Amino acid sequence: MSKRFSILGCLLAASMLMGCAAPAAPAKAPPAAELPTSTPAPTAAPEQTTKGGSLTIGIIEEPETLNPYITQLATSYEVLSGVMEGLLGYNEKQAFVPMLAESYEVSADGLTYTFKLRKNVKWHDGKPFTSADVMATWKIIMNPDFGAFNTLGWEKITDLQTPDDNTVVMKTAEKYAPFLSYVGTGIISPKHKIDEGLDKFKQDFGRKPIGTGPFMLSKWDASQAIELTKNKDYWRGEPNLDLIRLKIVPDDNTLFVQLGTGETQMAIKIAASRYAEATSLANAQVAVTGSSGWTHIDLKMIDFLQDTKVRQALDFATPRAEIVEKLLKGLAIEGFGDQTPNTPWYNPNIKPRPYDLDQAAKLLEEAGFKKNADGILEKDGKPFELEYWVISGDQQTKQVQQVIAASWAKLGIKVDAREEDIKSIFGPNGYQFTKKMTGGQYGWTNGNDPDDMFYWHSSQIPKDPTGTGGNVQAFFNKFSFQKEIDDLTAAGVKEVDPAKRAEIYWKIQELLQREVPVIFLYWPKDIYVVPKNLTNFKPNPFNYTLWNAGEWALQK
Amino acid sequence: MRIYLFRRLLGAIPLLIGIATISFIFMMAMPGGPDTMLARNSRMSAEQLANIRRNMGLDQPVPVQFGRWMWNLARGDLGLSFTRFQPVTEVIKERIGPTVRLVTVAIAISIIFAVGLGVISAVWRYSWFDYLTTTLSYIGLALPVFWLALMLQVVFALQLRLLPSADMNSERFSPLLHLILPAATLAIGTVASWSRYVRSSMLEVINLDYIRTARAKGVRALQVITKHALRNALIPFITVVALDVPFYLAGAVLTETIFSWPGLGRLFFESLRSRDYPVLMGLLAYSAVLIVLFNIIADLIYAWLDPRIKYQ
Repeated sequence: MSKRFSILGCLLAASMLMGCAAPAAPAKAPPAAELPTSTPAPTAAPEQTTKGGSLTIGIIEEPETLNPYITQLATSYEVLSGVMEGLLGYNEKQAFVPMLAESYEVSADGLTYTFKLRKNVKWHDGKPFTSADVMATWKIIMNPDFGAFNTLGWEKITDLQTPDDNTVVMKTAEKYAPFLSYVGTGIISPKHKIDEGLDKFKQDFGRKPIGTGPFMLSKWDASQAIELTKNKDYWRGEPNLDLIRLKIVPDDNTLFVQLGTGETQMAIKIAASRYAEATSLANAQVAVTGSSGWTHIDLKMIDFLQDTKVRQALDFATPRAEIVEKLLKGLAIEGFGDQTPNTPWYNPNIKPRPYDLDQAAKLLEEAGFKKNADGILEKDGKPFELEYWVISGDQQTKQVQQVIAASWAKLGIKVDAREEDIKSIFGPNGYQFTKKMTGGQYGWTNGNDPDDMFYWHSSQIPKDPTGTGGNVQAFFNKFSFQKEIDDLTAAGVKEVDPAKRAEIYWKIQELLQREVPVIFLYWPKDIYVVPKNLTNFKPNPFNYTLWNAGEWALQK
Repeated sequence: MRIYLFRRLLGAIPLLIGIATISFIFMMAMPGGPDTMLARNSRMSAEQLANIRRNMGLDQPVPVQFGRWMWNLARGDLGLSFTRFQPVTEVIKERIGPTVRLVTVAIAISIIFAVGLGVISAVWRYSWFDYLTTTLSYIGLALPVFWLALMLQVVFALQLRLLPSADMNSERFSPLLHLILPAATLAIGTVASWSRYVRSSMLEVINLDYIRTARAKGVRALQVITKHALRNALIPFITVVALDVPFYLAGAVLTETIFSWPGLGRLFFESLRSRDYPVLMGLLAYSAVLIVLFNIIADLIYAWLDPRIKYQ
């Protein structure tokens, strides 16, 4: 999963999954954390797995296209995770597992990747999978007339050779640590479909993708449901379930009514506010896992917000613990960085700042602020006025905003709580490009590679309000620590040794904690509602829901 | 009459062009666009984004984009959806059937109940029945559709398990049963307002001299009401129906969302959210044509039913 906004509405994602190859944990970095679950996740059944049965999953948003390279929605990847595959994949511990490639080798200089492909794998339409499909995938991704949204990693390939049907050799020009994540786990498409032409590949393949996965798409009733039937010739073995129906239920309330009546049996990543309701459903159980998202408030580097003391003060004045306990009912973890707590990149030695209004007030005083006649903090005759933006449409987000705004107001900051729909808020006329002091609350979702240049590096500052890049805070002024973070994030991408790499990312988190370019709020958890008799369901932050759907079974 | 019709149809063309122009301007004035989130995609390069913008035609000035759209429209091409990459006509075609089905049933129910309730209320004016239906009408008008839909769903589907909660079809229930709750949701508000029209229309007619004459002649009460009064009272009502229908055919977003009904209302809302301009313009063109068309039809029906009216 690559970086994307984790909200309803448009999400961007690429199904590039990446992580450290070596199972041995590096000396300083801790092993991958246990996935916290509130109820025991359904475990693997003993020898007898019941065959057959169908499962209806309710999804809130319909994929707009199932072509993996031109979809903007995470929901498309949820569907595709049971239908299409890459050379490698991730397991529930973020370790590489061989998928379409049986094995791979990286040359000593780190520039050449050789993949040995699995034999006797068939596409859903019966044609054999060969190295030519990998070559065609690379070509289409890099084709500017096609307009793929995700080219990172693939554009590092300088040369791709297919010496035989089962071998692919990729050459690159420089060491690039995320390569195996972005390219190795990227979705591979069939050459014979790509060769049908750009328009057909966009339109027809987008409506009926052909993959190698445990399920194949048999029917897509527009706006109603997508049906996946089992792939009898799946290379891992025939799946247990006969049919998975992904029903589109655009309203949250309707979804829960349907879970209650049994018209729908399963729901993915429901809102934390629905947790209590979910646990009271008769035939369902609830699984909670960590996610790869981090919710935060971005602070524009302008005026008073350029002063580190001010940002640290805001951090002290943010009641994270209260929000996580009372509003989110414990279904999140207080956050302090951009790496999530279930990975070796996460720095366990850092703690979020405690809630301390006095300390915050002290810092603001040191920064030269005094309360004016209206009780608002002022410096050099200018009052401290902050616009605090959230994406509209979500009740929980608004509650969080209100709590934080009230707390900041106690310090004497004039907080203007605003909201806007997602396209307006992140558009060229949105708050990020106005000359006012602003904070915007939203979430990014990480991919499996710790590469975070997108968020912090100076090359990722958009050139103009319509430009690309994730470092929008630095649009008007760079960070005071920009050089330091540039060096660190760039080094993180070049360092291939996992232990040394982890050290770099730990340093980045220390820097982020110290300098507070954004107020980290929390790491949300993912909540799934599944039928009681579903076994082998293994949700995790590193894969989309259907990643191991071939193993799922419904006990009678 | 034929000349009149021809003139109306001819006059519709500049009207539709005007509607299209204004709609396009408003659409482009919306902040953000279909490319907004692409700019925040961590794998998107600036060249790629420029390519994509060019493919969508977004790099052209607004009048040029509009000109291109009109030119394609004249050739019957509504273009490709920006997010789905399917032809817009196909996207709309997939969802028009469910909307038409739902709306037809809802309007049929509404007409039956509106006429029934309105007539009885008029004939027995100020009776307990009249007061009851009046009160219920106002409640029906005031009820938020969203809340009503949810309530119906919770009561009939979740608690009583009599009806399906959503969708068009399922294993447990027949398609007809699936139609009931969404059609009822739409019908309740419609009946509430339409029955008022019928009632006041009837009241106007019932007190006219010719009705009194018919009664005096000894015509049976039922015949007086249906054959003599109702036929005249319904003329303005039919006009009201003809004017309302195109708005329903454009899709009812809230009802379709709650009952997961795959119709045009939901399509409009989704396209609005993702700023899918071709689909939005396609839907706007479709509704505009319907509204103009039904306006003409309403006028024609009125002229046909009321012999006093002649068009030149």
